[in-house]
Amino acid sequence: MKLLVTGASGFLGGYVVADAARRGHEVRAAVRRAPNPGRSVETVILDLRSRDGLVEALGGVDAVIHLAAAKAGDLHAQLATTVVGTENLLLAMTQASVRHIVHISSFSVYDQMQMPAHSLLDESAPMADPMGDRDEYTITKLIQERLVIEASRKNGWRWTILRPGMLYGRDNLFNARVGMRLGANAWLRTGAWACIPLSYVENCAEAILLAVEKSQADGKILNIVDDQLPRQRQYARMIAPRFSPRPRIIPVSWTMMRTAARCAWLVNRWLLGGRAKIPGILVPSRLHARCKPLRYTNAQARSVLGWSPRYGLLEALDRSGNAVDVDASEPVAAAPAAGGTT
Amino acid sequence: MNATTTVLRAATIGAGKISEEHLRFLSASPRARLVGVCDISPAVADFAARKFNAQAAYTDYARMLADARPDIVHILTPAATHPRLVSDCLNAGAHVIVEKPVAPTHGQFMELWNLAQSKDRRLVEDHNYRFNAPVLTIEKLVNDGTLGEVREVEVRMSLPLRAPGGRYADTSLPHSSHALPAGVLHEFVTHLCYLALRFMPAVERVAARWSNQDSDGLFKFDDLDAMIFAGAVHGRIRFSSAGGPDCFVLTVRGTRGWASTDLFQPYVRVVAPRGGRRSSGPIHLIAEGWEMLGAGFNGFRNRVMQRTAYEGLRTFLERTYDALCRGDEPPVSFADMDRVSRLIDAMVDEANRI
Repeated sequence: MKLLVTGASGFLGGYVVADAARRGHEVRAAVRRAPNPGRSVETVILDLRSRDGLVEALGGVDAVIHLAAAKAGDLHAQLATTVVGTENLLLAMTQASVRHIVHISSFSVYDQMQMPAHSLLDESAPMADPMGDRDEYTITKLIQERLVIEASRKNGWRWTILRPGMLYGRDNLFNARVGMRLGANAWLRTGAWACIPLSYVENCAEAILLAVEKSQADGKILNIVDDQLPRQRQYARMIAPRFSPRPRIIPVSWTMMRTAARCAWLVNRWLLGGRAKIPGILVPSRLHARCKPLRYTNAQARSVLGWSPRYGLLEALDRSGNAVDVDASEPVAAAPAAGGTT
Repeated sequence: MNATTTVLRAATIGAGKISEEHLRFLSASPRARLVGVCDISPAVADFAARKFNAQAAYTDYARMLADARPDIVHILTPAATHPRLVSDCLNAGAHVIVEKPVAPTHGQFMELWNLAQSKDRRLVEDHNYRFNAPVLTIEKLVNDGTLGEVREVEVRMSLPLRAPGGRYADTSLPHSSHALPAGVLHEFVTHLCYLALRFMPAVERVAARWSNQDSDGLFKFDDLDAMIFAGAVHGRIRFSSAGGPDCFVLTVRGTRGWASTDLFQPYVRVVAPRGGRRSSGPIHLIAEGWEMLGAGFNGFRNRVMQRTAYEGLRTFLERTYDALCRGDEPPVSFADMDRVSRLIDAMVDEANRI
């Protein structure tokens, strides 16, 4: 297949591009800036915020893997990149007659606040409200996902939404589930016994390619998490020695943190008219999204994609810390598509 | 028309960052009914409309003007689009509030103003910082004679426009304001000019040095140092994208004392006779220290309560809507806009002749 990968220069994008090439796909990697020389796949410089060059970039493409999204910036910067960028991409797909998209969403679209502690978060979990008090990333990912589904249904495209958990890998071991950074050398850790829905980047990249290759994934929304999900305390202890200087971990109990957030919310609502800006970890809906003890499953992805995470936690951490990653892996044949082979 | 009960049908074009401030006012004001929000992006228009309870979202402003029939339109798009949008809104019979600058040149501003006059509509440029509480305090100090006769005015802004990740430093999709006559600084000089001119008589001479600290081809200018001579009053307008920390300082010096504020960290420092006596250094410093302590606490409270430097925008809009409902002159008059637009043209013309 000929694939256009948006967000190809991002953390996950680099692994998706490499894995796609390794599986024998023809890859066109969309990046914002000129790539480093020596890259073996075709690259096209695109900024999805502009429609310039988009239709041309989609010429001859069989499917789009849409990874591009903003992770930082204020709401309007993220709307421009994540939402307007997706609108432009979908319009260009229509014009270029590209009829297949695999969109990479996020666990952030769920509303963990509505879920009882220790319940199972699967694809049927309640969704967050974009008009609620979740952060900019959640708001824009919710809109982005809706746009992809609406355009796909309207145009009769093949589509799949993948929602990875917390991606980790080389240079990306810390994440919001571990807690909050306090300065340069301390982590505030809460929810010690909560499982972290980790997804090792190489495992996730493989799931994405399988979603492109397998027609069984069409019209499906799939959560992507690994098999061995560590508890937060365990994961923090495993990764802390890999940081230099080693961070000091300040534990705060989940009950205490939840109570503090509830109090802050009540004070803001009843005494300050809801106008105060308080840190995200003291906003109940955001705190629950980050630290609530829940259970996770990848059963649906396993069943639909025939996927199983290739690397367990210890091996993934080893690969994250060594010069062994997807570029050094053996070639893999693409999975057979329904009704034929790729 | 009963001025106290008049409600204007309001609409906005452009749903970027500044629109949030306008829409927050429009969704709460008893003077306005938000009948439409327009943006080129359907999803962004829909999001803004839902968030601020607008009656409808549009992606085509001509359709919005025809369907929603607004009495007033807020134009909140990039400056280069203003002339066409202002013109179309005026021709549709709507008053217009437009983000600065109304138009890239004074000539284009005058064309739009004349059109507004011919249509009997109001055209008002957003001079929001003029209505920030510290600026109003300094105006009062000037008007009640506390500072004596004004002799010097300085407006200084420092912002790291070249900071990586910033909207103006984006090389992959350059900001549209780079194409304005003074580049991205054109977006800021309107603020600097209207604040300076508030305290100055008719301008006689201007000298300006526009420069660029880096020859990367993206920025026309990233630094401005301008002198304005207006009778006995000397003015200085200064913009730097290299000096830190961020500041937006207005200082007015008179024959009896001076006052200064930083709109990014609001306080008003006044050095003038207290209690009818001339200043004595140590006592003044102690009194100032006490006032600065209070300003520090206020600054902390403002940060928590999300009171930003845009606080004056609400006052500006309230007064503008009140004036429109009563049929009075808006708080930003033709003379205000005309002087600012002329001064910017003069500064651009005087580029590097200092």
